[in-house]
Order: sequence, then structure tokens, then C-alpha cells
Amino acid sequence: MGSTMYLAVSLNIASAAGQAGLTFAEIAGFVRKVEAAGIDMVVISDSMDERSSSPFEATTLLAALATVTERIGLVASASTLAHQPYNLARRFASLDIISHGRIGWNATMRQNPREAANFSRPEGIADDDFRRRAEEFIGIVQGLWRGWDADALLFDKAAGRFHDPEKMHLLDHKGEFFSVRGPLNVARSPQDMPVLVMSGLAAADLDFGARVADVILVKGKSPTDAKAACDDLKRRVSPAGRTPDAVKVLMTVAATPELATNRLEDWFSAESCDGLNIALPADLSAFDDFTDRLLPALQRRGLVRSIHHGTTLREHLGLGAGGGQ
Amino acid sequence: MSARQMKLGLFLWATGHHIAAWRHPDAHVTAGIDIEHYIKLTRTAEAAKFDMIFCEDAAGLREANINIARQTSRSIGFEPISLLSVLAAQTERIGLVSTASTSYNEPYGLARAFASLDNLSGGRAGWNLVTSASPIEAANFGSTGLRPHADRYERAREFATVITSLWHRKAAGHDGQSFSVRDPLDIPPSPQGAPVMVQAGASDDGKDLAARTADVVFSAAQTLEEAKAFYDDLKGRLAAYGRQPDDVKIMPGVAPTVAATKAEAQAKYDALQELIPDDVGVALLSSYLSISDLWRYPIDGPLPELPESEGMKSRQALVIEQARRDGLSIRDLARYFAGARGHWRVVGTADQIADELQARFEGGAADGFNVMPSWFPGELDAFATMVVPELQRRGLFRKDYEGRTLREHLGLKRPV
Ligand SMILES: Cc1cc2nc3c(=O)[nH]c(=O)nc-3n(C[C@H](O)[C@H](O)[C@H](O)COP(=O)(O)O)c2cc1C
Repeated sequence: MGSTMYLAVSLNIASAAGQAGLTFAEIAGFVRKVEAAGIDMVVISDSMDERSSSPFEATTLLAALATVTERIGLVASASTLAHQPYNLARRFASLDIISHGRIGWNATMRQNPREAANFSRPEGIADDDFRRRAEEFIGIVQGLWRGWDADALLFDKAAGRFHDPEKMHLLDHKGEFFSVRGPLNVARSPQDMPVLVMSGLAAADLDFGARVADVILVKGKSPTDAKAACDDLKRRVSPAGRTPDAVKVLMTVAATPELATNRLEDWFSAESCDGLNIALPADLSAFDDFTDRLLPALQRRGLVRSIHHGTTLREHLGLGAGGGQ
Repeated sequence: MSARQMKLGLFLWATGHHIAAWRHPDAHVTAGIDIEHYIKLTRTAEAAKFDMIFCEDAAGLREANINIARQTSRSIGFEPISLLSVLAAQTERIGLVSTASTSYNEPYGLARAFASLDNLSGGRAGWNLVTSASPIEAANFGSTGLRPHADRYERAREFATVITSLWHRKAAGHDGQSFSVRDPLDIPPSPQGAPVMVQAGASDDGKDLAARTADVVFSAAQTLEEAKAFYDDLKGRLAAYGRQPDDVKIMPGVAPTVAATKAEAQAKYDALQELIPDDVGVALLSSYLSISDLWRYPIDGPLPELPESEGMKSRQALVIEQARRDGLSIRDLARYFAGARGHWRVVGTADQIADELQARFEGGAADGFNVMPSWFPGELDAFATMVVPELQRRGLFRKDYEGRTLREHLGLKRPV
């Protein structure tokens, strides 16, 4: 059963005030180690929480990591308040091409309390407006990712035909919050669409998540808790016209010092979900602890496989193509 | 202390700057989806000791007419901040400058991205501030269309104020016309203190903003006189902002075609010119003139009278001036323009090109050049292996990097 579990590691790279941040070499070294161990993906969170700080913004860090790794999936958080959908769609489509199909976008549905005030919305955004805006935003990004068919580029020097205009599609979106004509000026990405990871889902977001996400990260207090949350999500997937397998639900557990191997094993063997996302704090001792102690122990017990299934993140996760035309 | 040396930037652009570059038999036609291509070009520039590479940007297609767009390679490419983040990890010394628009970003978000790139690269990042002039881009960011030139610059001025105070760790808190920001930047500064600020606007508003905030200014000029006039104008504006002439490096674009003999170089250039379809050439010219129906005028007749642009004012003026000066027909002008979009073109041997660069550098028209190879990788390789060594022999360009950061390469002060 261990071989069917997916394993992600998420790094909060923002260190607390007064603490030295991680260097790129330290982060890269860690990601290469977990890649060698067969971990499916690393999730870089990009918190703009109070009094924290990191030398790196998550999407730029991801680009740099993409060229110093080969197999592991790379996911970055990016906020719908800090970006315009056209710009963000371009960035992730570019990253997916750069990494040869290993990229995911972690789209959080939860507002960062400090964000609005730094993005010209001193009055903040009402939760309900934020939710409708985020849903529209994500829909636009996914729509833009589908703007070019996989065989749209002809590269025909002699006849002077670079692309086939029939295979390029305008989006022509006009919605409540955004108006975006498209198409994207980045080619179709190797995964068709970067993997859409969602986290921070409130009750009101669950149906939307079940409709659009590829991976959903869920926090659970116990394996039993987790199983209930997972079952609930899977129940919502079919009415959205997808098979339950099309959405992988990973439980997020924090790798605190108390989270020993035995307890992790409880989580694995409860078969409560599709896999685990283990959250590590931004410090080197946590990295060492994870790669030197926890991971080998899980591998010895056959709970983590040590090779990747394919070359793209979708393949690692047993997800279908991104739904192209 | 060595004599004053020129700065060199490499202006990257997928298959090359010539509009027909992608059709050149040896051009790397899949450049827009091949990251290795960019890594290789940047390493070539680093080996040749260029100060920096530079990426242009537009958040949309280049060409609205689908029938024209399909005959060019410019509809797809990499988003430049992602591209430069990769190059930061894959190179060691060369500066990394990218365009990003003040029209379609927020200062806090862009400040974070460039500060991050600056940290990833150990202090080699720069930002080219632009006010986006294309209605195609505007349609991706709302339904109201392109805003007037003056409004775009007003927003750009405020953007520049906010982003520099975030980078320079000045007191936080801004509540202005277009933006409000509450907190200080949550990303610590790199070894160069703050990313280098680059600008290329050449309208009156553009030059004024550059005089106030830019470290490097890119420009387009045909003749030495034009280049010198721009140089004197911009440097002359600095005093009003308490700045010294040396605080800003002016780097006009130059599109070189170099070969062992002048005739060979001319033949290389002519071969590329042969690959331009007329409608593609006229469309490119139209977009820089901010006019949509240039194709309605006889292609072998003169350029018609045109209303002043709300798009790129300075480039429009430059093109019109050249057409009148040289008595060019629309066809001639379009073909000329397709080589380097109005930038200065030089065709010749390494010696001849070095002479021309030296004349502008020593003639008070440039602090360095933004090199725009007509196609990649061939024309870059030719410049790096033929022209750069000649400039080095003459003591006009460095033989090795002296510093680590882009500010150090450019001889710019560290912000306080
Ligand atoms: C070398 C050079 C590179 C430029 N690159 C860009 C670019 O990448 N994106 C863009 O929107 N404008 C670019 N521009 C245009 C200008 O930065 C400027 O925004 C435009 O000319 C309009 O301003 P103006 O009316 O003040 O000239 C470039 C100009 C020059 C000379």
C-alpha cells in the first residue's frame, strides 16, 4: 500500500525576524536530497505574514531550482492579490517549459491578512468578494494555459509560417473583476497545464476545489480527521464531472520534533488520503532531521518509493493530461 | 586607474532582433521554448565580459493582425523574470536586467520579485521600467483600453517612487494616487543594495523620469548627432535632481553585422533582408508609428503625414525624421526598420565597427552600447569573437570583471 502514497514536502522559506534566512545553496541542496529520495514534489510557500522575511520570492526561487534539479515536482504559492491573472499565467507557463513539465501553482483561497494593505487596497477585501475574485482569477489562468494547442507551432522557415493561427485561441474573458483578451504569449506547456494545487479551503470553497484542482492540501489533526476531510472532498468530485482519482488529496502534517517515524506511519497506514504533505520550518536542522532520519526510516518500511514514476509532475502524481483541446 | 571604458549590454530576443531572424537557415527557431538556448547565449556574453544581458517584455502578443503574427516568431517566449531567475543560477558575474511594466504591476509585488532576483544572483539584477504603450497588452488588463501617455507616466512616476523607497529601505507607508503600501519590504537587500534601475522612455516625460530615477538609460538613435543630442539632453536634466553626469550611464542600441570583409558583412545583411515579407515589414513599422492602416498607402510612395502618437512618442518621431531625411519610401523604410526597429545599424569588419563605436563613445554620444545581434546565436558569436577583442585591444573595454555586482560593473554608487 505504501507504493500508492504520494509524498510532498512543503517549505516555509520565510524565517522569523532576527533569524538568518536560508541561502539558495542550502535550499537547493535540500531539494536535491529529497529528489534523490523519490519525493514527488516540494511546495514553496510564500508567506507575507507579519515580521517574517525571506531572501526569495517563491516563483523566482522555483525558476532557479528548476535548473538545478531534474525530476522532482516544484510548486510555488502565489497570491491572487499580488498578481494580475495574465502575468501569473505567463510566469507559471514559463516555469513549466523551463522545468520540462514539473511545475505546480499553489493557489491559496485564504487571504493573507497583510497583503491587501500592501497592494493598494487599504480598506481590505471582504471574504466573499475575495472568494469570487479568486475563483474568477483561477478560471482565467487555466483558460489562458489552454490558449495554444500542443501542435500550434510550425517553425516552418521556408514557407514563413511560424504558427498555425487556427490553433491559437483568444480567451475573451469579461467578468466581475477581470477582463482578459488573451491569448497567452507563452507556448503550450509540457504538462498542457501546470498542476493546480489548492490549499486553505474553507467549507464554501470545497465544491470549487473539487471542480478545478489537481491536488488539494488539507490540514488534519488526526488520521481519522483527515480521512473524513478526504472522503468529503472525494464525494464532491464526481458531481463536478471528474473521477475521484483526478484530484489527489494530501494531508498536511507539520514535521515537529515530536512527529517521530512511528506517528507518521500511523498517518500512512490509516489510508486516510492519497498521500501526505510534510511541512518543514525554514531551518537547517529540520532539513537534516528529515533527510537523515525520517526519510530513511520511511523508506526502510516501504512507505515511500524511491523512484519517480515519470518525468512530469502530472506523471508522478498519476494525474491525467491538463485537459487540452 | 584605467581610462574610461565603455559598458556593453546584450539585448536578448529569442531568434534575434531582425524581424526575419527566425527564418535564417542557422537561427535557433525553437528559441521561444528552449531555455538552454538562453543559458548558452548568456554564457557567451559572460565569457565576453559584457556588463549585462537585457530582456524586453510585453504582456501580450506583438501583433494584432493574426495573418501577420503567424509570419513572425514573436507571439511566444519566456516571461522574463522567470527567465532571469534561471540565468541567475546558471551564471556568475554578468548583470541580469529585465523589463517589467508599471502599467500592469503593483510596486510591492515587483519590488519583491526583483529583490528576490537580486538575492538569487548575488547582486546582479536590474529593472527596466516601462510604461506599456500597446493596446494589445491593455486588453489583457481590463476593458477600458490603453490609457493616455500622460496618465501612464503619472502612474510610472509614483511607481518608481514607491519601489525605490521599498528597495532603499526608506520609511514605509505610502498612500498615493495609484498605489498604497503599508509595510516595509519583507525581502532583505542583496550585496548591491538595490537592483539597478534602467529606463528607455525618450519622450519629455520619459527623459524627466529617467533623469530623476534611472541608473542606466537605453536609447535609440540613428546618427551621431541624434545620439549626442539625446545624451546632452538627458545628462543636462540630472543637475535638477541633485545628480552628477556620471550617475547615469547612457547606452544606445546598436545592431552590428560583422564579417571578415565589408562586402561579406553586407552580403550577410542583404540575405536577411531578403527574408522579410512586405506585409510583415509594413506591419512592424505601423506598430512603432502607432498607426493601423499604413498598408492603405502606396508602398513605394512617401510616408503620409501622421498624428502625434499616444504610444511611443519618441520612436515615432525618430522614424519620421529618418524617412524625411533620407527620402525613403514606405517599403524602404519598412525594410530598414525591420533590421533593428529604428536602432543604429552598423555593417562591416570588426575594425570598422570598433571605429564607429569608438567615435560615438569618445564623441560624447554614449557611455556604452546595448548590442542587438540580428540573429542568434551566429551574430552574437561573431560580435563576441571579433568585435569585443578589438575593443579590448584598444583599451575601450574590460578584459575581465573587476567586481561582482552589476553596480560594480557599471561603476555606479551603492544606494545609501
Ligand atoms: C532599448 C529599448 C528597449 C525597450 N524595451 C521595451 C520593452 O521591453 N517593453 C516595452 O513596453 N517598451 C520598451 N521600450 C519602450 C520604452 O521603454 C518606452 O516605454 C516607450 O518608448 C514609451 O515611452 P516614450 O513615449 O517616453 O518613449 C524600449 C525602448 C528602448 C529604447
